[in-house]
Amino acid sequence: MTVQNLGKALEYKTLVMPNPDADIINGYTSDLLSDVMGNAPEGSVLITIQGHKNSIAVASLLGMPAIILCNNRSAPDDMQLAAQKEGIAILSTGDTQFTASYRVAHLLGRV
Amino acid sequence: MRWRIDLHNHSCLSPCGSNLMLPAVLAIEAMDAGIDILALTDHNSSRNLPAFAEACEIAGISGVFGLEVTTMEEVHVLALFEHLHDAMEFGEFIEFLLPDIRNVRELFGEQLIVDLAGEVVGELEKSLYGAADISFENLIEEVLARDGLAIPAHIDRPSNGVLSNLGFLPEVRYSALEAIRVPVMCETLGNSIIQGSDAHVIEHIGRRFCFIESERRDFQGLKDALVNHTVTFRT
Repeated sequence: MTVQNLGKALEYKTLVMPNPDADIINGYTSDLLSDVMGNAPEGSVLITIQGHKNSIAVASLLGMPAIILCNNRSAPDDMQLAAQKEGIAILSTGDTQFTASYRVAHLLGRV
Repeated sequence: MRWRIDLHNHSCLSPCGSNLMLPAVLAIEAMDAGIDILALTDHNSSRNLPAFAEACEIAGISGVFGLEVTTMEEVHVLALFEHLHDAMEFGEFIEFLLPDIRNVRELFGEQLIVDLAGEVVGELEKSLYGAADISFENLIEEVLARDGLAIPAHIDRPSNGVLSNLGFLPEVRYSALEAIRVPVMCETLGNSIIQGSDAHVIEHIGRRFCFIESERRDFQGLKDALVNHTVTFRT
């Protein structure tokens, strides 16, 4: 599923979407970026509350095309700039990581 | 001159700190352990620093006045100040940024404010367990702007460290980095590394320390040593 279609289906707020056609095939939920670095599969959307520019660097390193920020966490300007530069989408929602994970998994046919 | 320093210690104010960790006990035990420069760094509060300042004076130890702040990313950062009043003001600021949650002492432990003699003069109601509403970078900037030392704590620990929570060290200016084990096996961006006890119980006072080479046994001497990379460890 493309990043754009995922965002539309979830009806989450788009903060940055430099590459709407990037393909999402999986998801990974974690707030510890060291854990994300070690375990997240390529092509995943990262579901997290970690609104920090390091999240973008980690996503870029692992080939993760999008980040969903839960619990209405904000994305600071430097994070949004980095996302633009690295071609990574940032979506924002009031959903918890639990709800967002379920909804993404459902849309990707993984539950 | 070579000075033995330990810049990371808790008192009975920290919910996880033993109620026997009175500021005066910390100062005296540290003096016995040969510590020359000692910091008290309770979680997100500075309220036991006045008693600590008095105790250091009596013990003839150079006191550094600090807090261990929990940032919004739940990264622990030591914020250290030369002057008590600066640390108190900063402590008030950090307490204000904590979520408005009451401490449940049965679950998290008591948060005791004590005087020099160890008499309980108050108990902090707001939970110090939470994260302050300030980002890692903004906190570092704020501490440095107030002429403090900003030192990410236990960067090699699997929880509440900058590496565990943020994956790698953001490229900003630090005063130093604290590690549990040296040498550290990660990129340190040329920063000095220090070791501290992170003592929560009396038995842990002085368990980790390091040495600085400096003319002065005070905050300025400490600052110079961190900049000049004259920190060494026990061999």
